[in-house]
Amino acid sequence: MTHDDTGGSVPALRTTGLGKRYGRLWGLRDCSLSIPPGAIVGLVGSNGAGKTTLLEMIIGLRTPTDGQIEVLGHTAHANTAESLARVGYVAQDHPLYPDFSVADMFHLGQAMNPNWDMALARSRVEALDIVLERKIKTLSGGQRAQVSLAMALAKRAPLLVLDEPVASLDPVARLEFMREVMAQVAGGDLTVIIASHVVSELERFCDWLVVLTHGHVQLVGPVDGLLEEHQMLTVPRATPDADLPGIIIHRDDSDRHSSVLLRTSPATPAAQAHQGWHTETVSVEELVMAYLLRPIKAANSSNSARGAQPSGPITKVMSR
Amino acid sequence: MIWVSWRQHRSQAITGLALLCALAVYGLVLGLQMRTSFSNNNLATCLAHSQGVSCPNAVGAFDNSFGSLVNIGFWSVLLLLPGLIGAAVGAPLIARELELGTWRLAWSQTVPRSRWLVVKLAVAAAGLTVLGAAMTLVITWYRAPMDRLTGHFVHNAYDYEGFVFTAYILFAFGLAVLAGALLRRSIPALLAALVPWVAVRIVVEFVLRPHFMAPLTFRQTCPHGCGGGGGNNIVNVPPSTGHIGNLLIKTLNNTGTTQVTSYQPASRYWAFQSIEAGIFVALTLIVLGATVWLVHRRAA
Repeated sequence: MTHDDTGGSVPALRTTGLGKRYGRLWGLRDCSLSIPPGAIVGLVGSNGAGKTTLLEMIIGLRTPTDGQIEVLGHTAHANTAESLARVGYVAQDHPLYPDFSVADMFHLGQAMNPNWDMALARSRVEALDIVLERKIKTLSGGQRAQVSLAMALAKRAPLLVLDEPVASLDPVARLEFMREVMAQVAGGDLTVIIASHVVSELERFCDWLVVLTHGHVQLVGPVDGLLEEHQMLTVPRATPDADLPGIIIHRDDSDRHSSVLLRTSPATPAAQAHQGWHTETVSVEELVMAYLLRPIKAANSSNSARGAQPSGPITKVMSR
Repeated sequence: MIWVSWRQHRSQAITGLALLCALAVYGLVLGLQMRTSFSNNNLATCLAHSQGVSCPNAVGAFDNSFGSLVNIGFWSVLLLLPGLIGAAVGAPLIARELELGTWRLAWSQTVPRSRWLVVKLAVAAAGLTVLGAAMTLVITWYRAPMDRLTGHFVHNAYDYEGFVFTAYILFAFGLAVLAGALLRRSIPALLAALVPWVAVRIVVEFVLRPHFMAPLTFRQTCPHGCGGGGGNNIVNVPPSTGHIGNLLIKTLNNTGTTQVTSYQPASRYWAFQSIEAGIFVALTLIVLGATVWLVHRRAA
């Protein structure tokens, strides 16, 4: 399974050669993704990696400098009603008007969205015992997050974008929030993109992964496939890079041994033949960390568009 | 969208209403006192047959008891009022969204942000226009007795009656909205908007206004010496000349026995009000247009 395998249907989100330049600096460059409908995508990247830029372009808050975005086959044009209608968005810190009541916020949602589902919005907060007459400023952080989520869901957009949705929440509120998201995904064709620093959270909920560093997509694909393509190898420290059967994503040298996170292709299956080599499967957290720690040079020389395939220019660069 | 704009400005609307009520109470008390005094002193009769010449004592007494309440009070308290009203509504309009981060919410609903902004601006400007017009009516009503003595072309009256009061409010509003979009903070935007507002007010009032139309002149012979020259209240406009209510601009030539004064006749009052209000409304539209463009461009 490769990253652009969407089972023949129209991808929920496709970006081609997407780039955004701020003055002379590129906030995001050459970003090509294809996400199938129904996926729950974890978007990971260190601060300044281009996450917010990517999200804002997907939502339609920003116009790309290069490339284009398609949501369910429709080309997105920033700041137009048609494009805005296709994406639901929960912004970081769940901004809401503090002096509005919950009912006022929903009334705003109804006034500003043609497909607004008031019954859905009300049932979501009622299920959580949030009183509609309460002012936003009297709600807890977790409740505010739930109201934001209810608003994004009631917009009835096929793509839902959550920017650091649980970063400011306590563990119970985190769990409740993600439970709501999962319940909605289970009920329909909703595709969800979750940008988060909390990798453990993503591991639990996401079936797709996008790793962004230095304005480039480093890794993209279904979690299962990515875990199969990577392995953690423990080798004697003297082993040269060239002997390793794949692309070195991260190498950690200790006194006698090196632990190496390798991306292998199906063609080079096993390393067991070598004496003293030890193979382990990787966790999502290890995988993400390895890509985030990758030096800028190695990261940027790989073509982001082909980030998921261990072939072409990456191999040449890495196998010196 | 109109409901959204209304809901966001609801507390400001209530504050505006409270302000209007306070002004109405003040105006009612003072206006009734002035009216009582005006009729008790028979000023109406006096003005009718001699334009106040035959009853200088009554005119002087009236001016003494109410002049400071009506005119000086206006200058110190009310000069900045339209600026403060407009800026207080305009400054948070965009800046508050940027401060709270709610622009991400507002601009990601199914309404393009330029439409969102235009509707908000229209609703707020309409509300301010109603408030400005209502305040103008209250002020005009309670000042009426004083205006019969001085006319309403004098600075004290001109700036708070007619169209200009509302136009000043709108201009301060526009400046503050733009300042809010640029500075991204409500309070600094409010203060920053007042500076150009005061500057433009001063330039228009003292440099442009006297020359909206070519001034007329009148010649006065005063055998006993002409005294201090041009001023703009009843004491300096000999009522015998029929010039009550004219806007005196300057004394051109004072030879001791003849004095030539240039002035704008009272009959031009509404033309002047329209020209000045037009200037401020045009400036407001330019500033608001720039703001809409700026916010639209933020998407790029």
